[in-house]
Amino acid sequence: MTAPLVEIRELGFHYPDGTPALDGVSLAVARGERVAVLGPTGSGKSTLLQHLNGLLRPTAGGVWIEGVTVDAGPGLSDIRRKVGLVFQDPNDQLFLPTLMEDVAFGPLNDGVGPVDAAARATAMLRELGLDGVGARAAHHLSGGERRLAALATVLVSRPVVLALDEPTGDLDARGRMRLVDLLRARGETLLVATHDLTLARALCGRGVVLYGGRVVADRELGALLADRALLERYGLESPSGE
Amino acid sequence: MAHIPDGFLSAPVVAGTAAAAAAVLALAAQRSRQRLEEREAPVLGAATAFVFAAQMLNFPLGAGTSAHLLGGVLVTAVVGPWSGMLVLFAVVLVQALLFQDGGIAAVGANTLNLAVCGGGGGFVLYKLSLGLVGEGRRRRVGAAAVAAFGSTLLVGCAVAAELALSGTVPLMPALVIVGGAHGIVAVGEAALTAAILGALLRARPDLAAAVAVPPRATRRWGYGVLALAVGLAVVATGVASSRPDVLTAALDRLGAVGGEPAGTAGSLPNSRSPIGGPWVAAAVGVLITFALVWGAVRLARPRRSRS
Amino acid sequence: MSFHHLDQFATVPSPVTAMPPVARLVGATSVAVGAATLPLGAWPAAAALGALVAAMTLLARVPVPLLLRRMSGPLAFVLLASAGLLVFVPGDPVLDLGWVAVTRPGVERFGFVLARAVVALSAAVLLVTTTEFPDLLDALRRLRLPRVVTTALSLAYRLLYLLMEELERLLRAARSRNAGAGAASRRRLAAGVAAAVLQRAFARAERTHRAMLARGYQGELATLTEWRWRAWMVAALATLLGLVLVTAVLARG
Ligand SMILES: Nc1ncnc2c1ncn2[C@@H]1O[C@H](COP(=O)(O)OP(=O)(O)O)[C@@H](O)[C@H]1O
Ligand SMILES: [Mg+2]
Repeated sequence: MTAPLVEIRELGFHYPDGTPALDGVSLAVARGERVAVLGPTGSGKSTLLQHLNGLLRPTAGGVWIEGVTVDAGPGLSDIRRKVGLVFQDPNDQLFLPTLMEDVAFGPLNDGVGPVDAAARATAMLRELGLDGVGARAAHHLSGGERRLAALATVLVSRPVVLALDEPTGDLDARGRMRLVDLLRARGETLLVATHDLTLARALCGRGVVLYGGRVVADRELGALLADRALLERYGLESPSGE
Repeated sequence: MAHIPDGFLSAPVVAGTAAAAAAVLALAAQRSRQRLEEREAPVLGAATAFVFAAQMLNFPLGAGTSAHLLGGVLVTAVVGPWSGMLVLFAVVLVQALLFQDGGIAAVGANTLNLAVCGGGGGFVLYKLSLGLVGEGRRRRVGAAAVAAFGSTLLVGCAVAAELALSGTVPLMPALVIVGGAHGIVAVGEAALTAAILGALLRARPDLAAAVAVPPRATRRWGYGVLALAVGLAVVATGVASSRPDVLTAALDRLGAVGGEPAGTAGSLPNSRSPIGGPWVAAAVGVLITFALVWGAVRLARPRRSRS
Repeated sequence: MSFHHLDQFATVPSPVTAMPPVARLVGATSVAVGAATLPLGAWPAAAALGALVAAMTLLARVPVPLLLRRMSGPLAFVLLASAGLLVFVPGDPVLDLGWVAVTRPGVERFGFVLARAVVALSAAVLLVTTTEFPDLLDALRRLRLPRVVTTALSLAYRLLYLLMEELERLLRAARSRNAGAGAASRRRLAAGVAAAVLQRAFARAERTHRAMLARGYQGELATLTEWRWRAWMVAALATLLGLVLVTAVLARG
């Protein structure tokens, strides 16, 4: 049996100021799975995702990507290439003067030459329907475009696992469907932190509920969403229209 | 006239200030890398963006005048002197290139004034004042206020010296007008630096650790330099007041000379002189410095005798 | 706030915008430095450099009224600052104002300082009207400015917009609570807002830094743009530099 693509074992973490955020989280994700990480604000979703590529270091337990442990060692840059992290606020991810530069940033850091990096960035922007805005600065984009652009900056490095933090925060229903179609078509392994149950239902096959830094449920998503008592107990609203 | 426009400086002064500024910046680039005082690039980007943003805010000083933050002490106190000077240089450069706030040929002079004298010099003053008053958030803020005041006067004197060296204006009127105008601005700079740093340290005490309080042995130096500075200021005031006739008259007409550029700051019919002109303000400034330092020293003493 | 109005002729095709940004920056700087450092009274030289800027303006297809409008703000400041020269330069009085007198050398110096300022300023305005900020940054990188400086500037550009948005939001919120009557309370408000903006800038910087690390950032910002130099561009820049140099020498000779 091969190791799961992502394995999280007994992961514990508290912030330097002492705030506890994660407490004994265990989770294994197989290649091709699409997992929703559900939970109310402050339950530790963002903290968990930032452990996947070593931005935060566990205070207990550990994380493995394709069997390789995530730590400060020489393998880290390789892991960062494999795990694409899309942040909650697209503005944090679009920090350069033009969109092209933002998208080419990852490939350039991976040692791709300027000409190839530019070509890859252009192709990526076209794939997401953002052709024509590459020369623009992020503040001249709409909220939805900005969200897609942030996604482009990560997808361009061809990650194996895509970790999305609240990807629908500023999207309307149409933008959400567009995002879902796009991600389903691409087929990366997904971890989606969200409290948007409509998104989870449309995109994911499995749901993990995080509450107070612990995993309190891990089930097939349909079954999970049908459990009204559970959703209510952990402060999750059932998808609208039901 | 914190940012000197093109046309006011002579060729030797343009060349000399550019060379001096380049030398200091090269040193700063090397040191900031070496010491890892340099915080990560985004922090320096944030500091740069903040100085821009803050310079678009105008702070009323009363009596119809207003000024904006120069930021020398604030920036160096938070990101360290070497990185701080580089940040201030980045601001000067873009203000000249993008907003014509300060001339392109005068970038060297403006860097020397605002980044090296205002930032680096301001940092030295900050360190000295910290040595005088010791540890603690309030004391840190007090030290920064004193340093910001001194740093702004330094900037004014540097501008005046460059104008005089260029043969554009004789030294005395330049010192009194430009220096005096900066004396007024200095009060605002001190108040602003204190307010902003105070609020920042309350929210982010970790940032205070960026600059260590010097050990007690160096405090004696602090007192020495302070005494020298106050002495110089008093002498300069005395010299200036010995020939006030032409000057005060001229100042009534030309109080506006020390103003900040309108337009870029989206601002103000500014820098009308208060009664008595900048000269009086300069004298008042010396008194205020004295009072501030005296107060700071008084504050520091009991704590130290206990420890 | 927006920088966009600054570079609105960057996309108008012209021989000037075809030049690599570093050529534009070096050219404009040389004219500005040449003009700003002319010895007092070198009127023909100032006129020659002014003509040079005018020629470049035509080449760049930038409308002259626009150029003049852009110059007016900084020029007003220069006027204000140089008015003092009228009376502070000692010499024959030509106009007695009672307290002080306008002197003949004062008038001459005032006029010449203004002329130098106008020429240097027009070169600077022409540069920003035809060059986008990212290109300007690229030029600065190629001129080997300290990497810390160009990196800080690259990041500051985007951040500035975010900060200005926050600044406006904070000011609006404060105003809606009727804050800011009287100088003292306005000052307190401004300082409070500035402190809040600084805090947010640092918080944002931390998050951005994490986003950069997540994409493999190791402390160096690589550049993307490649500009091709052609023979005529080298020749044009060399000619410009040569003309400025000759003017500067003749003005002193
Ligand atoms: N930088 C930080 N410093 C200290 N505590 C933090 C920090 N970031 C998050 N926390 C705390 O960690 C817990 C989990 O936060 P987070 O992972 O952001 O939750 P979520 O993404 O589910 O909203 C919360 O209690 C939060 O207050
Ligand atoms: Mg979160």
